[in-house]
Amino acid sequence: MSVSDDAAPSPLAGARPFWQTGLGRRLILFAALAAVAFVIDFSASDISRLVMPIVGFGDGTEASIFDRVFLALLIGGFLTLNILAVRLLPFVAQVLVVWAELLLVFLAFFYSFDLDFPYIVERLPILIFTGAFTTLYVSLVSIALASVLAMAGALARLSKSGPAYAVATFYISFFRGTPLLLQVYIIYLGLPQLGLTLDPVPSGIIALTLCYGAYMAEIFRAGIQSIPRGQTEAGLSLGLSRPLIMRKIVLPQAIKVIIPPTGNQFIAMLKDSSLISILGVWELMFLARTQGRAEFKHFEMLITAALIYWAISFVFELIQARIERHYGKSDLGR
Amino acid sequence: MTTLWTSTAALSLAGLVLAGGPALAGEVLDRIQETGTLTVSTDPAYPPQSSQTPDGSFEGFDIDVATELASRMGADIAFVTPAWEIITAGNWGGRWDVSVGSMTPTAARAEILDFPAIYYYTPASFAVHADSAAESVDDLNGLVIGTCGGCTYEFYLNGNLEIDAQDVPAFEYLVEPGEVRTYETDTNAFDDLRIGDGDRLDAVISALPTIQAAIDAGYPLRVVGEPVFYEPLSVAIDKGDAELAAEVARIIQEMRDDGTLSELSEKWYGVDISTVQ
Repeated sequence: MSVSDDAAPSPLAGARPFWQTGLGRRLILFAALAAVAFVIDFSASDISRLVMPIVGFGDGTEASIFDRVFLALLIGGFLTLNILAVRLLPFVAQVLVVWAELLLVFLAFFYSFDLDFPYIVERLPILIFTGAFTTLYVSLVSIALASVLAMAGALARLSKSGPAYAVATFYISFFRGTPLLLQVYIIYLGLPQLGLTLDPVPSGIIALTLCYGAYMAEIFRAGIQSIPRGQTEAGLSLGLSRPLIMRKIVLPQAIKVIIPPTGNQFIAMLKDSSLISILGVWELMFLARTQGRAEFKHFEMLITAALIYWAISFVFELIQARIERHYGKSDLGR
Repeated sequence: MTTLWTSTAALSLAGLVLAGGPALAGEVLDRIQETGTLTVSTDPAYPPQSSQTPDGSFEGFDIDVATELASRMGADIAFVTPAWEIITAGNWGGRWDVSVGSMTPTAARAEILDFPAIYYYTPASFAVHADSAAESVDDLNGLVIGTCGGCTYEFYLNGNLEIDAQDVPAFEYLVEPGEVRTYETDTNAFDDLRIGDGDRLDAVISALPTIQAAIDAGYPLRVVGEPVFYEPLSVAIDKGDAELAAEVARIIQEMRDDGTLSELSEKWYGVDISTVQ
């Protein structure tokens, strides 16, 4: 159905089929949610054990079809009412409430694994101060170096010099075309064959820089190419040199296009840096694995690491939004 | 040609560490004595051989043996933690000096690394889920069995285990698996077996002490029958340093003779597995 139907109800509005009316749509939402709850089957689950005694249908430990249908309807109804109630709030409040609800469900899911919390607390310091610190440090250095490399790669890719173009496209093609894990191995195991024996951290930083430099060169190229040629031509007709035009006219505008995907790359790198754990670098993923294996408590450590990665990414999402706002000042009218 | 290439590389990379190719005779030993530090690779994924404590230090049988080795060489010890396939790739280039990592000296590995001294013999056993009906290893024929990829247990399941060492206890291939599933390490196979009998795996094969450590940690597993083979486990060094090999062999023999190895074995495994069973 089209938007105009909502904006200005036509005289035919009363003739709309039932499933397009407000009540009809809510019933469909309810039926869909209840169907999902039925398929998942909450009978004899923790929820069942909690709810069934309260409503007076047994103790909820039995996996009967009645329990299954009843709980499906109950959960479907609850979720529908929840969605309808949330929609009465202002938009920002809607987002916050739904985030909080999802987070709660998420944590309850982890909690249901019966984790050993003292084990986690005891190992939190090394996971954060050694693991997360190393991850951040490696990622920050790599993204900084990759940005420089990417700019060189993008300019070479756009240049009229044959060798520069060839080197840039060869580099981009190889490092985009092979797995990062393989590049990490090649750099760590291969360079010593040439007489250059690097430590794990520099090897890892080189691998991440080369790989992400290749992806980001394409981002930078696209950003530069998004600025109309007419601007360069206008600069030339004013007698400006090409480097000056690039620096003062094209790049300041291209930055705005480049920033969002670059932030995206950084968040991806935070997680891809876990690949250098094979070199024995004590980043977050390495420590999560070895600490979990010490007493066969893998899940405790993996979930903790997941939450730490997520928290760091979240902070960088906020920083990215702020930078975007800064470079997007010219678009305030949008 | 090689010389030319090396010198070109040396010129262009002047100022950087140069250590290509196999270790030269005595080179590693000289470095250990010069720096006063023995750098040992360890894979802290295998309690009770090697695991990491909450403060980042290491503990286990391999760790104690390595520490004793260093102290008898008159050196301090330092550990590095490269992945298993990085260690077994060889050409360490001086990044670390020895591996005290419960490595079996297979024929294939002996082409890449040197194995100067066997320091204990670990029993390999099958384990099943606690709910399994299997009573002996014969009951495991045709089943889905999990283990580490590229390790001696996989070679055993596939019937191509060749151990390149003297005094290897004779063994037979007792089980014909229906399917072999390999994992990054054998403890990952334990996680699949614990889900339930036959859900993902019917059985695993691993070192008996590792299985025991998992059972002690609450895994619902059960050892089936007697160990199927005993594998000698050796200190490994980069190829080509005979002086270091001799020194390591001398110290390990000394530790065996004076009862240190037996004592450490009792401490970590509850039994003495430092000699052939």
